[in-house]
Amino acid sequence: MLSEFLTRWRYRLVPDHVLGEILSKTWIDNAIPFAILLLTLAVFGTLIPGLVTLTGFAALYAELGELIFVVLGMSLVMLAGGIDLSVGSVFALANFLTLLLFNMLGWPIPVVIALALLCGGLVGLVNGFLVGYLRLRAFLTTLVTLIIVRSIVDMLILAYAVKVANPVATSPIWDFISFDTFHGLPVALIVALVVAAAAHLFLTRLRPGWRILAVGGSRRSAYNAGLPVRRTIATTYVMSGVLAAAGGVFYAARLNAAGSDTGVGLEVLALTAAVLGGNSLGGGRGSVAKALLGAITVLIVSSSLIRLSLPTGATSFALGVVLLAAVAIDVRWVKNRSKLLSRVYVSPTYLKLPPAPSTEAGSASLYAVNDRLHEVELIGLGELDGPEDTILDAADHLYTGSRHGDVVRFIAPDYRRQEIFAHIGGHPLGMAFDSEGNLIVCVAGMGLYKIAPDRVVSKLSDQTNRSLLSVIDDSRMRLADDLDIAPDGRIFFSEATIRFDMSEWMVDALEARGNGRIICYDPRDRSSRTVISKLLFANGICMANDGESFFFAETWGCRISRYWFTGGKAGRREIVIENLPGYPDNINRASDGNYWLALVGMRTPAFDLGLAMPNFRRRMAQRIASDEWLFPNMNTGCVVKFNEAGVIVDCLWDGRGINHPMITSMREHKGYLYLGGVSNNRIGRYRIPGADPDWTGVGSYWGART
Amino acid sequence: MSSLLSRLADRWRGSGAYSLTTPPMDGALRPNQLIESADLATAAGAPDNLVVQGDRVLFTSGRAILALGDACGSPVPAGEAPAEIACMAAAVDGSLALGLVDGRILLRGGVHDGLELRTCGDRPVLCPTALLFEDTDTLLVCLGSQDNRPDAWKADLMERRATGSIWRVHLGRREASCLADALAFPYGVMRVGNGDLVVSESWRSQLVAIAPNGGSRPALLDLPGYPARIVVRPDGAGAWIAIFAPRSQLIEFVLRERRYCERMMREMPPDLWVAPSLHAPESFLEPLQGGALKQLGILKPWAPTRSYGLVVQLDANLRPVSSFHSRADGRRHGVTSCVEVGGRLIATSKGGDAIVAIALPPSGAQT
Repeated sequence: MLSEFLTRWRYRLVPDHVLGEILSKTWIDNAIPFAILLLTLAVFGTLIPGLVTLTGFAALYAELGELIFVVLGMSLVMLAGGIDLSVGSVFALANFLTLLLFNMLGWPIPVVIALALLCGGLVGLVNGFLVGYLRLRAFLTTLVTLIIVRSIVDMLILAYAVKVANPVATSPIWDFISFDTFHGLPVALIVALVVAAAAHLFLTRLRPGWRILAVGGSRRSAYNAGLPVRRTIATTYVMSGVLAAAGGVFYAARLNAAGSDTGVGLEVLALTAAVLGGNSLGGGRGSVAKALLGAITVLIVSSSLIRLSLPTGATSFALGVVLLAAVAIDVRWVKNRSKLLSRVYVSPTYLKLPPAPSTEAGSASLYAVNDRLHEVELIGLGELDGPEDTILDAADHLYTGSRHGDVVRFIAPDYRRQEIFAHIGGHPLGMAFDSEGNLIVCVAGMGLYKIAPDRVVSKLSDQTNRSLLSVIDDSRMRLADDLDIAPDGRIFFSEATIRFDMSEWMVDALEARGNGRIICYDPRDRSSRTVISKLLFANGICMANDGESFFFAETWGCRISRYWFTGGKAGRREIVIENLPGYPDNINRASDGNYWLALVGMRTPAFDLGLAMPNFRRRMAQRIASDEWLFPNMNTGCVVKFNEAGVIVDCLWDGRGINHPMITSMREHKGYLYLGGVSNNRIGRYRIPGADPDWTGVGSYWGART
Repeated sequence: MSSLLSRLADRWRGSGAYSLTTPPMDGALRPNQLIESADLATAAGAPDNLVVQGDRVLFTSGRAILALGDACGSPVPAGEAPAEIACMAAAVDGSLALGLVDGRILLRGGVHDGLELRTCGDRPVLCPTALLFEDTDTLLVCLGSQDNRPDAWKADLMERRATGSIWRVHLGRREASCLADALAFPYGVMRVGNGDLVVSESWRSQLVAIAPNGGSRPALLDLPGYPARIVVRPDGAGAWIAIFAPRSQLIEFVLRERRYCERMMREMPPDLWVAPSLHAPESFLEPLQGGALKQLGILKPWAPTRSYGLVVQLDANLRPVSSFHSRADGRRHGVTSCVEVGGRLIATSKGGDAIVAIALPPSGAQT
């Protein structure tokens, strides 16, 4: 059908899942400020010829350096959840003080600069003491400081304006700061960028920086965690004061003038820049990069407006509008980002399965329902939580995983006594013994782990090569699922999905995209490498008896494939069983040379139809609660046995679904079959009629050991 | 214009009038397990249509009419119809009216014994869903649909039909008048104290009151399920509604996804549809919702479900006052009819093949 053809290609060509993956990145917070910057450049670049050129930018450099200082200070205060309106006045004060000390009194430049910065720091300390320790409102307090410092500056200017304008001495340092450039960049900008880099390190790599973010993110939690909240807040105001003063010093160097309009409105400019860059007004969310983005944007806007020679007041008006818009975008973005992400992350794709084979009881179907698993003995009923896989060692002890992050061992021969064999921390899934008797385990969310016979746990692998075009960081292992070990010691293990965690593995069924892969861990050089990717929930893996290939299950694809990793057919991949009536999980060897396969759940016509209609599933994921989503029927499973040619030779059902509603694994050992289920609370033990009573899985891999 | 735009936006986003919300089971409808744990009055295959005739309680099972025995005895045969019985009513003179799934209404006993109705007015009796004697000569007939037989109710819902009607048939004169039309599957009818007729409109999850002068108004809106038979209490102070299946977000969603819904109806047998059901899941081929996944071997009672057992007690103003449930983990689902007799509530779980009896607290006491 044409529409199905179009749907299939539409979903093959358009990578819908990328949108959600991009939105889940932390750097996406920078996307909006960056887009605004580009928009600003585009708008004013067309209005003002020559703006978007090197010389056009160069005109802004010096001013930009000063602004960056002030914006950095403002951003630091905002990150801790406050606001500093006094930056403009401090800027003016530092400017005046520099000129006073140098031009009028002729003090040496280093002392002048140090005193100016100290003075700014003192104003900041007043703010910090009032806001941080006395817990006054940041807005009102800094507004008051703004007015007081401004009036002090005004009074000083009235008295000394003429005297400070004419230098009594010259200084090479001062000239250097004032006039020199380095590769076209003025000293002010270079120093500002160095300070910005330092601030970035401070915020992202140093403990005091983290504390600022923590206090801004949640003041109460930070307090409860034992952080010095008051001191941290006070510190940000001091830093803001010093940085604003630094801006003032460079302003003095550039213009050598102390007018009463110095730094007027600077607080609005800095605030606009900080918020426009994406630093949250609420605190806790922001970065130096955002501050820089915002400063550049605001400076381009304000200087362009001046160059357009708009009527008086229009520039402030425009800045006000920009600030308002930035605040609105900030609030909406913070509020809606996670909502948007949860709406778009699940991105179903097209999957057409042929009609499932019949399972009707009493029919001639290979999969006909029976009740043979009804007669199982139960092990650990009610004591287990999520025995996904089971395995038995040479001494017949039974090992399984639990959702609590333990590997549990049941002691032979009656399996009544259990002990925690090892604690790993993540939910252990697939298990295998290597030739030295180490237990190799796939751990959800952690990777591939080894438990030595002396119970020492060690990590084998938790990352693989990152694929070139993946937005998600797929070098990390999210859901290592099942493994098997080749005769040469290489471990092949499956990662079910790179897009979902263990707790939401079922959601991957809704996507039906090739999110899974098979990874090879080579113990010789301890490297991991992705062997096969884009699998529909890569699940069970089992070495074929030829020692050159393995079978693997693709759960949502309802198929079993075989992959040759060595020998004459190395690299070949063939589908062995197609169109199973249910969802395949683990595969293990049987004593008669065939292979056991667990079907974790059964296909339903309603879900199969939904698989061919991705839009239906996408709207379902967006519009109804996740508990209400249509899922594969995972409340019934069975065990089948297939031979090397892919023919089903046996089928075991728990027809009533009492003990084993969902079967994720089975392990044959000395005439019995041990059944596990990832959301079950028991292990079943089924006597296989006519099975070799001496055959063991470990023996079939590594030969009988004593 | 703006309302049109906002409607379009709502439709695209699935918000506002297009949001998929179902009424919560709260207040008087808070879940319990009273039906699941109730005494079994008798077991029968797909029991339905409880009616009181004199001192007997009759019900139907397939083609058979049975009378409830005393004290949990096995039911006593009381007749048989030529086809499966869809609905039944009893008159004070001992006559019975039977609606059959093959599209006719038969009268048994009394003055009109043997009468067969195949039309109401000009409309064929395709889907008789409920009957009620006003007196021995006048019969109220609910026709659930003009498009589907009673046993194809699932298709009627999924096709979003609203072609049901209510008729007053004068049996002596063979005259019928239509009381209400374009109803979404009227499935039960009763006459309340003030003379109004109250009809349960299943697909709209509401009760509609029809005044003697013909005006109709909603009497109870936003039920959390699809109402079936309604019956007044013996003392006239209140009524019972049997609710045969729950509403669910997924089903409401599928009802709006016309392409999926139509392919589903075309390609699958009705038992496997994403649609309400009378019985708890019997096959792994039936659709499963995420919350219904068994954890540690247990199906949670609050799991999303397509079948449920629910009887709601209403006061004289038709406000819910209490309710009796069989939840997602239960079996006694698909309650289609109920009666109150001798201080007991008797209800048929059509999907659970059981008739249950619940002793009610004495009248006036808090229920």
